[in-house]
Amino acid sequence: MSRFLANRLLRALITLFLTVTFVFIVLRFSGDPAEQMLSPDATPEAMQAFRERWGLDRSILEQYLFYVRNIASGEFGFSYANGRPVIDVVTERIPKTLILTGAGLVTLILIGVPAGIAAALRRNTAADRITMSLAVGGYSIPSFLLGLALIYVFAVELRWLPSSGSGDWRHAVLPIATYGLAGAAGIARFTRSAMIEVLDQPYIRAAKAAGIAPIEIVFRHALPNASIPIVTMLGFNVAGLLGGAVLVETVFAWPGLGSGFVRAVSQGDLAVVQFMVLIFTAFMVSVNFTVDVLYAVLNPRIRLSDHGAH
Amino acid sequence: MLLQVSDLAIRSRSGGVRILDGVDLQLGAGEVLGLVGESGCGKSMTCYAIADLLPAGLVRAGGSVRFDGVDMGSLDEPARRRLRGGRIAMIFQDPTSHLNPVHRVGTYLEGALKRHRGLSGTDARMEAIRLLERVGISDAKRRMNAYPHEFSGGMNQRLMIAHALACEPDLLIADEPTTALDVTTQAQILDLIETVRAETGMAILIVSHDLGVIARLADRAAVMHCGRIVETAPVEALFDRPAHPYTSALIGCMPTVDPDDCDPPRPIRGSVPSLADLPGGCHFHPRCDRRMPACGLARPPLAALADGQSSACFNPVPTW
Ligand SMILES: Nc1ncnc2c1ncn2[C@@H]1O[C@H](COP(=O)(O)OP(=O)(O)OP(=O)(O)O)[C@@H](O)[C@H]1O
Ligand SMILES: [Mg+2]
Repeated sequence: MSRFLANRLLRALITLFLTVTFVFIVLRFSGDPAEQMLSPDATPEAMQAFRERWGLDRSILEQYLFYVRNIASGEFGFSYANGRPVIDVVTERIPKTLILTGAGLVTLILIGVPAGIAAALRRNTAADRITMSLAVGGYSIPSFLLGLALIYVFAVELRWLPSSGSGDWRHAVLPIATYGLAGAAGIARFTRSAMIEVLDQPYIRAAKAAGIAPIEIVFRHALPNASIPIVTMLGFNVAGLLGGAVLVETVFAWPGLGSGFVRAVSQGDLAVVQFMVLIFTAFMVSVNFTVDVLYAVLNPRIRLSDHGAH
Repeated sequence: MLLQVSDLAIRSRSGGVRILDGVDLQLGAGEVLGLVGESGCGKSMTCYAIADLLPAGLVRAGGSVRFDGVDMGSLDEPARRRLRGGRIAMIFQDPTSHLNPVHRVGTYLEGALKRHRGLSGTDARMEAIRLLERVGISDAKRRMNAYPHEFSGGMNQRLMIAHALACEPDLLIADEPTTALDVTTQAQILDLIETVRAETGMAILIVSHDLGVIARLADRAAVMHCGRIVETAPVEALFDRPAHPYTSALIGCMPTVDPDDCDPPRPIRGSVPSLADLPGGCHFHPRCDRRMPACGLARPPLAALADGQSSACFNPVPTW
């Protein structure tokens, strides 16, 4: 177990380092920030001053070492757009995004997993087919379209909820519903097939032969086994939620990392973009690491064998 | 009779393929009945039907299962559940896949003790350790915390036997309990089954396609072919003078005055017919050396010959 986790931790760190490097390379070669940030009629002297100020006039290697050292020491520089510390610009948006994606994750689990279990237990009945058609539908609609549809119904037509902004909890309802419904569809389908596969295993028949009650078979014998692939899938879902934040937060004008990222990119605010990509990567890496840990906790075959790659 | 299976029929839900067709079995208290037959003839489905565990694709198409005088079909589901794992225990081929991979050995045994004997806490734990020791698992206390994948197949079969014994059953259904094990382990498991049988006096329905296993453990044997019982007899009689040509072909040794004077084993002519497309009359007749015109037309009934031997054949091998 400890070797398994150490291995995963090392992998996570390598991923982070590669991302840092990759981001640097892509951003430095995608154009001159001075030209992007300053107005076209800026004087060459102003351009030069900008480059000197942000260290853009030094050699690429120097810039890279400077950049890595700064990141390692928690120095992320200042926003080109408004001169505020990047760390402030970004961190004030983090809780906003975590609230939406966290509540979205809880919603999608609370809807998707029970729906999948119910469909698996009623395999090939009308209830199963209806649930699965809904799930296929929900799964194939892009999340921002679902968001627009929800805005149309609940904000424009019914006028029950605000369509955008982040003033109070009412603003959070529609974006959370968007995440929850879109994600629940996939998880319901996945839970269904994971449960069906487990329910067909010989040890389930053996449990029935031992006189164990059906409800106990589902929740104590089948679900713990099905939860191993489901948790892996949920990890992908969280990654999807964070990626989807770019679209969903923009649709709902929610001031989180996603909409902040869109804004920083459109303004060419490289320092902010850079840091946001790192934050996203750090989230992804920690989600993956959490999934690996959970996977090992749920699956004794990994927990006990140290050579347990799945 | 402890177990009386009468005219049991099973068919597939979709195609109507007959998996079992009029199966009769009797098993007295403390008796060991062997069920033999080639792969796919319906031995496992017979076990599952008795324990009411048929897979979703199969349904009962008639017949009855009486356990200790009570028709299982007349019981409600909770009552049937109390029987399963309580008075009727079951062990399987390939024990490891029949054990839940996320449950510890201790949890598995304590669950059974709690469910069927009302034991809990330290009592259940002590009893579980005692059961493990009884089936020959050493270092039992420490192994209570192990998972099935840390055990060998043989140890897992011992564990399943311990689980079966937990509830002091009257009937143990053992579906090919040694087939997936290596030869040495097979012998050890058979020894163990013999020992616990002698200690507890429980009845056993043992399924195997291995005649050696049947000869060693069973008092009586029933021979199954394509979902039907074609012969049943005390084991000695069955091996000495099989009456049904299929039994005799299975044994690969025609009856002679001297039972040691056997032909070398030979494969049965032709191949096992598909259940979806069975020949009419006796399902064995196309492969049979002793077939007569009637064999393709009508199903021969299971008729008593002598000494508890019955055979479903119009032209049985002479047994005198
Ligand atoms: N779920 C199912 N749906 C339909 N047919 C099935 C199903 N399970 C098994 N069968 C069929 O039932 C027949 C009897 O199977 P069974 O497992 O009882 O054979 P068996 O005698 O135990 O063979 P083996 O020695 O291989 O274990 C087989 O022909 C098999 O194809
Ligand atoms: Mg079988």
